[in-house]
Amino acid sequence: MSETKKILVVDDEEDIVQFLSVLLEDNGYEVVVARNGIEALEKARADAPALISLDITMPEQSGVKAYKELRNDDDLKSIPIVIVTGYEDPNFEKFIKTRRTIEPPDAFFEKPIQKDEFLAKVKDLTG
Amino acid sequence: MTELLENTQLNGMLQQALFEQVPYNIAVIDRDLNLVLANNHFREYFGDWRHKRCFQVYKSCENPCEPCHARKVFETGVAKVSDETGVDRNGRTCHYIVHTAPLKDENGVVQFILEMSRDITETKQFQREYDILFDRVPCYISVLDRQFNVIRANEKYRSTFGEPAGRTCYAIRKHRDTPCRNCPAMETFVDGREHVEEMHGYDVHGKDVYYVVHTSPLARSDQPFQHVIEIATDITYLKNLENQKLEAERLAAVGQTVAGLAHTIKNLLMGLEGGMYMVDSGLKKNNQERIERGWDSLRRNFDKTTQLVRGFLNFSKGRLPDLKPTDPNEIMRQLYELYKDTSHQQGVDLALDLDEEIAPAPLDPDGMEACLTNLISNGIDAAVMSDNEQGRVILRTREEDGALLFEVQDNGIGMDSEVKQKVFTTFFTTKGGKGTGLGLLTTRKIVQEHGGRISMDTEEGVGSTFRITLPRARLEMLYKQTTEKEE
Repeated sequence: MSETKKILVVDDEEDIVQFLSVLLEDNGYEVVVARNGIEALEKARADAPALISLDITMPEQSGVKAYKELRNDDDLKSIPIVIVTGYEDPNFEKFIKTRRTIEPPDAFFEKPIQKDEFLAKVKDLTG
Repeated sequence: MTELLENTQLNGMLQQALFEQVPYNIAVIDRDLNLVLANNHFREYFGDWRHKRCFQVYKSCENPCEPCHARKVFETGVAKVSDETGVDRNGRTCHYIVHTAPLKDENGVVQFILEMSRDITETKQFQREYDILFDRVPCYISVLDRQFNVIRANEKYRSTFGEPAGRTCYAIRKHRDTPCRNCPAMETFVDGREHVEEMHGYDVHGKDVYYVVHTSPLARSDQPFQHVIEIATDITYLKNLENQKLEAERLAAVGQTVAGLAHTIKNLLMGLEGGMYMVDSGLKKNNQERIERGWDSLRRNFDKTTQLVRGFLNFSKGRLPDLKPTDPNEIMRQLYELYKDTSHQQGVDLALDLDEEIAPAPLDPDGMEACLTNLISNGIDAAVMSDNEQGRVILRTREEDGALLFEVQDNGIGMDSEVKQKVFTTFFTTKGGKGTGLGLLTTRKIVQEHGGRISMDTEEGVGSTFRITLPRARLEMLYKQTTEKEE
């Protein structure tokens, strides 16, 4: 048995946090939760998750800033990031790509997610 | 000189010279209307006059004119001036002015009359051309006296607004009992200068007519005047186009809002998806606590959906903004106070650059605040994202070419051309689930409801400037429309 992999779920919507947590836990992952970008950075450093599921539109500090900081932090930049957002995928990808200095996200899911696809991607990215 | 004039011979020569040299047709007519004497000028103009009667020469007629001016002078002994139409020596119709004077004998009886006439055919031609010009020029032309009575109006004016018939301009065009508040003619009567005003009136059928009026004193400069001329260009067509455009913009904004709404709906769907998963998996595992949590989640998202639909219905009505006279700088100052701390926490310097001379304008302050809030939070985000050491967002107000400008400038990441094209259809806000999720779409909708437009300059790696341009004329027009409706 490999050790339980830890996933950091970042979202400000309580119902979505609950959903993703239960879904991931049911599939054998351990879940850590952050409600905004600042918390996301803290938890990423403290818990060293195997993957981060990141929402973009959040109060306090947006996912955009959190994404940038995660990607620019030498200790954290290797953590795969899956974006889960209400925005349409191609435009966000394009937005990130045009920034040049920032790597694109490892995966992009538009809400509402397809559970199976999401789980397959998480499994794939966490090896 | 007196001595010279007393010289009879010289006197005769002088009379002869006067008779032949003056640039008038001169003829003498007896009581039977026979021409008894005429100068060379006369002969050159009317042809041979000998042994003919005046009407035969002047008019090529066989019978005396009716009424006959010559006879009148014979009867009254009083000189007369008349404007006549006749036939010249070449058979062409000619116009001339005749001064008819009685030549009396020593008993005071009129024996002859002296007629001096001068050709005015060319002047008449000019007059006719002027009349045609006045009537046919595709503008409303009228002349007003100081009581605003229309004393003359051209054909286009009469056919559109009806016959003036001694009525006032405000009664004819506006169906009013009192002069208009913004009357340019009144201003011209007061200061003797030209004035321009955009106005709205009604045609004879009661239909709306929009026109731009230029007023000018009907006199040479600096001379006292009693009349003002009004020349108005019809802009109804343009006005209708503009109204249609405003309406189309409003509808387009609503359409785009629907697209933006998708984002919020997706979050709700995901909440419902989560609730269903919890209930399904709870049932499978016979886990009552999970079923209850899932059910709560379903209920919450159902409530949120209901709220959203209600809010959206209000939002999509394409209502007119709630305009009231507002200080544009005050809006910016309030937003600055609201955002400066948040912005500093994120390492972005927020600054004000206000045009202190800027005049108040009819704005919907809540709407404009919502617009600018979106732009400012985007600006802060862009500055945070950039590699600049010091992020900076400037809030600016300006007045330019009759338009009020709000600008939000950041030194952030900027955008490339592809993102630029998408910016108003999909973008991020920092308000998350707490905001409307409609971002720049809301901004654009509100700006368009103010009759304005939103534009941006952006350069990748340098920054972006979002500019809201609100033409004051359109704001005033919308304000007039809303206040008229309230009245």
